[in-house]
Amino acid sequence: MSFLRLDDMRIDLGEFSLRGVTLDVERGEYLTVMGPTGAGKTILLECIIGFYRPEGGRVMLEGRDITDEPPEKRRIGIVYQDYALLPHLTVAKNIEYGLKKVDPDKASRAQKVREMAESLQIDHLLHRRPGTLSGGEQQRVALSRALVVEPRMLLMDEPLSALDPRTRHDIRDLLRRVVKKRGMTVLHITHDLDDVHALADKVAILKDGKLVQHDTVHRVFHRPCNGFIADFVGAAIYEAIALPDGNGAGKVSMNGLTLATSDHVTQRAEVRVALRPEDVLVCAESPTGVSARNIVKGTLENLYREGRITHLSFRADGVCIPVIVTTSAYLEMGLDLGMERYLVIKAANVRIV
Amino acid sequence: MAKVNTFRALLLGCAFFITLVLFLAVGALFMVPSWEDIMTNIWSEEMRFSLRLSLGTGLLSALLVIVFSLPIGFALSRFTFWGKGLVKTIIDLPVAFPELVLGLCLLLLFGKTPVGDALKALGLEFVFTVQGVVVAQFFTALPYAIRIMKSTFDYINPRMEFVSRSLGYGQVETFFKVSLPLARSGILAASVISFARCIGTFGTVLILAGGSYMKTETLPITLYLNISYGNMGMALTSGLVLVAVSFVAIFIFEKTEAQL
Repeated sequence: MSFLRLDDMRIDLGEFSLRGVTLDVERGEYLTVMGPTGAGKTILLECIIGFYRPEGGRVMLEGRDITDEPPEKRRIGIVYQDYALLPHLTVAKNIEYGLKKVDPDKASRAQKVREMAESLQIDHLLHRRPGTLSGGEQQRVALSRALVVEPRMLLMDEPLSALDPRTRHDIRDLLRRVVKKRGMTVLHITHDLDDVHALADKVAILKDGKLVQHDTVHRVFHRPCNGFIADFVGAAIYEAIALPDGNGAGKVSMNGLTLATSDHVTQRAEVRVALRPEDVLVCAESPTGVSARNIVKGTLENLYREGRITHLSFRADGVCIPVIVTTSAYLEMGLDLGMERYLVIKAANVRIV
Repeated sequence: MAKVNTFRALLLGCAFFITLVLFLAVGALFMVPSWEDIMTNIWSEEMRFSLRLSLGTGLLSALLVIVFSLPIGFALSRFTFWGKGLVKTIIDLPVAFPELVLGLCLLLLFGKTPVGDALKALGLEFVFTVQGVVVAQFFTALPYAIRIMKSTFDYINPRMEFVSRSLGYGQVETFFKVSLPLARSGILAASVISFARCIGTFGTVLILAGGSYMKTETLPITLYLNISYGNMGMALTSGLVLVAVSFVAIFIFEKTEAQL
């Protein structure tokens, strides 16, 4: 039995809708929910917590149908991107707000507030008002307020997206320590692939109110079930012809460039091929003695640096192949536009989607 | 030489011109009568009655306006419901109506009709009574207060209410613990505007409650009656008192808003 089960959930709010979402989340699972703007991610969370009642389907928590329960009875915590702290209360009062409903003892509440604030390193801010805090501090307060009441599960709607990169990194680390250590079941909406890699056990991808893939992080990133997801998770997508080799495996021909694939190919067919930029190795000389079955020569057409990583774009046999390398590797290789390099791609990384 | 910003100068000139005209208009009220006249008129029995009735009915009406505008403003801001557009339009109608027409409508409703008879049976008689003054002021000021309250709740992030509910507070508790405290500057603004509007209501009060000397005589009615009699001293004095009451209300509003 799943910890949380959404059963054919439907709602239409005009601009946003859910169209028959069925999803199972296990106890202690950290699920990140991704999807383009307007896919229905926030509505999904707000239906789970009870702010909206689905027009069809059910929400089951720990085996019990909670579809008609009001939010105050569900004991599900929520953290929003804009923190939603109560500006008329101090940080301490904000954290204590939910505790008042579950712990009538004032001294005990004060103790819990202090402990939670210490664990999230905001104990020096307890007397302050939310409006005087930085984004990162406000997010810690919002997280403390949600966690201190020990909710059955935690929902987070892009909790890191309004933070600067450094603070985002710190809060992400904090989430990993505080939330994952408690074994809490989490649904976390994000657009940031770093959040997914750092925190998630599984990923659910929504599009137009429908769940298009729900699987482990590795499978979603390496085995996207369709071209939309492949594109969404940062893979390059190619229209190709699958060519069987008679042994179950085969090749894919992409507008002149032919690559071996480990995927099952039984007949000649038009397919889409996904290739992750980080799965392509760049070599100055043609490598020998490597297990990779695809070694192609490409010309560096474009490049741009983005902090610690550098995006390269090679053209091989008329096909553009994006590559991601660390900036230090890029500098060591002394790459420049127009240079020719060998690209090494394992057949297992050439995926038919 | 610094370049003149024509656009800026034009806008500021417009603002200063209108301010000057208004300042002169209000100032004229203070310049015309003699202070001896004003003091005599203020302590006259008619003026004391009028002031007492205006303050009493104004405070009661403003209180009623707030009591009704809070839930209506919240409902219009937060809920989607069938007929919402119609409700908004009808509630807003008195803003566009001339006060005299609103008074006439209320007179017809509360006069010799089943509604009027039913209210009369309950001891509520609104036609040509002090109760009618309150009703007239209430319906004149209500749409303004509802607009202010709706905008106030629109401005409050509903996610704060969502979070409150996720932390165990019911809808009503959340309203009192989150929405209401966050709406306090809006409530203050609506109270002051409503009070000023109630005190200054003329046409609606005249038609529904009648402009009866020393009976339903509020400050605007005093001004009107005395102008009619040609008693300019009393008319100007009631005008001055109205300006003073409005000024004090706006002053309190500005001071309190700054502290919030």
